[in-house]
Amino acid sequence: MRSRDFDPGGGGAAPWVFVSPLIAFALIFFVVPLGFSVYLSFTRWNPLGTPSWVGLKQFEYLLTRDDAFWRSVGNTFVFAFGFVALGVPLSLGLAFVFSRSRGKAVWRSIYYLPQLTNIVAIAYLWQFVLDDRYGIINRALGLTGLRGPDWLTDPVMAMVSVVLVMIWYDAGKNMLVFSAALEAVDSEIYDAATLDGAGAWRTLRSVTLPMIRPAFIFVTITSFITGMGFFALILAMTGGGPRGATEVTALYTYTMAFEDLRMGRASAGALILFVIIGVLSLLQFRALRERERRT
Amino acid sequence: MFNQTTAPLAIAAMLGAAIPAHADDAPLTVAMHYTQEQAAPLIACLEDYDVDGIGAEYRQITYGDYLQTVLTGRLAGQAPDIYNVYSIWAAQMVDNGVLDPVPDDLAGFVRDGYSTGTVDAATIDGTLWGVPTEVSVYMLVSNMALLREAGFDAPPTTWDGLREVAQAVATRNAQGRTETAGFAFGQSSSGAGLVHPFYALLYSEGGKVYSDDRSEALFDSPEALAALEREAGLVRDGIADLSVDAYDFPAGGIGMIVMANWLESEIRAGFGDRFDEDVAVSQIPMGDDWRTLQYAFFMGVDSGSDRKDAAWALVEHLNTPRDGGLSCMGEMLGQLGALTASTADNAAGEAPDAFTAPFVAALEDGRAISQPNVMQASEIEGLMAQAFERAMAGEASSEAALEDLDREVEDILFEFY
Repeated sequence: MRSRDFDPGGGGAAPWVFVSPLIAFALIFFVVPLGFSVYLSFTRWNPLGTPSWVGLKQFEYLLTRDDAFWRSVGNTFVFAFGFVALGVPLSLGLAFVFSRSRGKAVWRSIYYLPQLTNIVAIAYLWQFVLDDRYGIINRALGLTGLRGPDWLTDPVMAMVSVVLVMIWYDAGKNMLVFSAALEAVDSEIYDAATLDGAGAWRTLRSVTLPMIRPAFIFVTITSFITGMGFFALILAMTGGGPRGATEVTALYTYTMAFEDLRMGRASAGALILFVIIGVLSLLQFRALRERERRT
Repeated sequence: MFNQTTAPLAIAAMLGAAIPAHADDAPLTVAMHYTQEQAAPLIACLEDYDVDGIGAEYRQITYGDYLQTVLTGRLAGQAPDIYNVYSIWAAQMVDNGVLDPVPDDLAGFVRDGYSTGTVDAATIDGTLWGVPTEVSVYMLVSNMALLREAGFDAPPTTWDGLREVAQAVATRNAQGRTETAGFAFGQSSSGAGLVHPFYALLYSEGGKVYSDDRSEALFDSPEALAALEREAGLVRDGIADLSVDAYDFPAGGIGMIVMANWLESEIRAGFGDRFDEDVAVSQIPMGDDWRTLQYAFFMGVDSGSDRKDAAWALVEHLNTPRDGGLSCMGEMLGQLGALTASTADNAAGEAPDAFTAPFVAALEDGRAISQPNVMQASEIEGLMAQAFERAMAGEASSEAALEDLDREVEDILFEFY
């Protein structure tokens, strides 16, 4: 076929017609809202009135005067790192075990089920399970004479609880990514490793993990981004409590915007979070890529 | 083909088509948080309403989403004509010009026909912004079966008495967890379970939350400290437990709670036949000079409505007694078991039952003081709840928690006053 039959870079309206739905979608749902949010972060606005320009004052307030904002940033890091540090190895472990088990499709489906469930329903379900006085876990511990932890009313345990529930919710999704990567590893490589005398641990460390590194990078970075920006589970499960112990920045900005009607300050908070996530994701991506190049 | 001139016009035309304009004969819209079932008597009145060909219709907006829905509705040109405003939202709505002031003739009707404390709830900077509808008052509600079992025949009338009774009623299981709470705060996501009883204690101490011009917070006052110390002392001394929920009261797991009248239906459902015998409502246990908190909703008209006069006429119609009987609003609130501050409706309705009578008396005796109408009231109450909880959990002394709170609230007040 000669090149003049279809030349996407050669001018004419056809290429633009084909990509126009995507451009329109991006403009309406990403570019315009983001631009509006950036504009709002330099204003003071509740949606009852009109925005008034305040320059950098919202950023100044959040960064220099708002202790609750900094506390929420700290909580965000604890939540995201806890989610990645425990969730990613767990997902990998599950994928590894199921790749060698019978009925792996059934196991994978079972572990993926939480992803198909409404996050608010999950939050309420776990509230019942973890309730200090009436929860199943503490009731069961009580039968053995043990006093269970204050899962949702102690600040430290509340954070532990939301991290564990988040891992439970998300592990199935990451497990599927790891499973696909594990299935793609050529079995002849394992045969060669076995012939060379490698045991199970050596095979995992020297064959499996290097072979699935792209999936590992993908899961780590997307999990980190998810952890930094996720708040629906926390909103429904603890509301950010007790005493702000589980209030992450995304939840804090949501509350600012839709309960306190501080759209300008909430936009500024969201932009700060956006920059933090962007910079850390970039650093993480580069670090993992760098290590990949060295190996 | 679109060009630079026609494209914006086309978009404007599409937007215009998406936002229908109000027709002059379209029904007036009344937006409230009550469900269709709860609002049935009012909806019947709206369906019958027809003045000069203008009818009325009901729109339900859930309580939790009310203010946000109103805001987005206004942005989209879909605002209702009549709101049912929770008084703590009012300052912001007034400041942003959302509400229309009550016309003079209707203002007289309100000032003459409603208790003063409730009129205050609908008043900001001396201007009346609506007709009061539902009122809630906080009182001490006791499970007399538990109190009697512990050797007490009457609810306490002093704070020391409350501590004594609560301690006697409370039981814990082998793991040290509360099984029956002697006293409980009605915990909720809004923090009202801690904040509203605090107002009652503060008012009883003779204190107030803000200076008269709203420029200063008074959380660093001795009265505020005394009120918080009373609340925090219960938790610190193991008499109250923050893990206990208000809905444990209807389940029979709480001896006493400072609660609003709107929990009556839940308590009735929980206690069943034993409700009259086992549930007692009494004064805030702060001695003879006790005071309490009331908060109210009021019906206001959107300043952007193109039929404000007709809307105010409908508001008056819905709140005016019918042939010596209840008003439409009074009938609805009566069926809900809710309180009204309308003197005429209270006179026309059935005599309040033993549960409701003390709440009504608190309103009539002027002991129920209105929740302050300040800008960002909801945000401030969230901060109050967090500060109080910190003091109760022992993470900060009451003095330190109140000092921090005072600074945070004054930051907010500084923006607006």
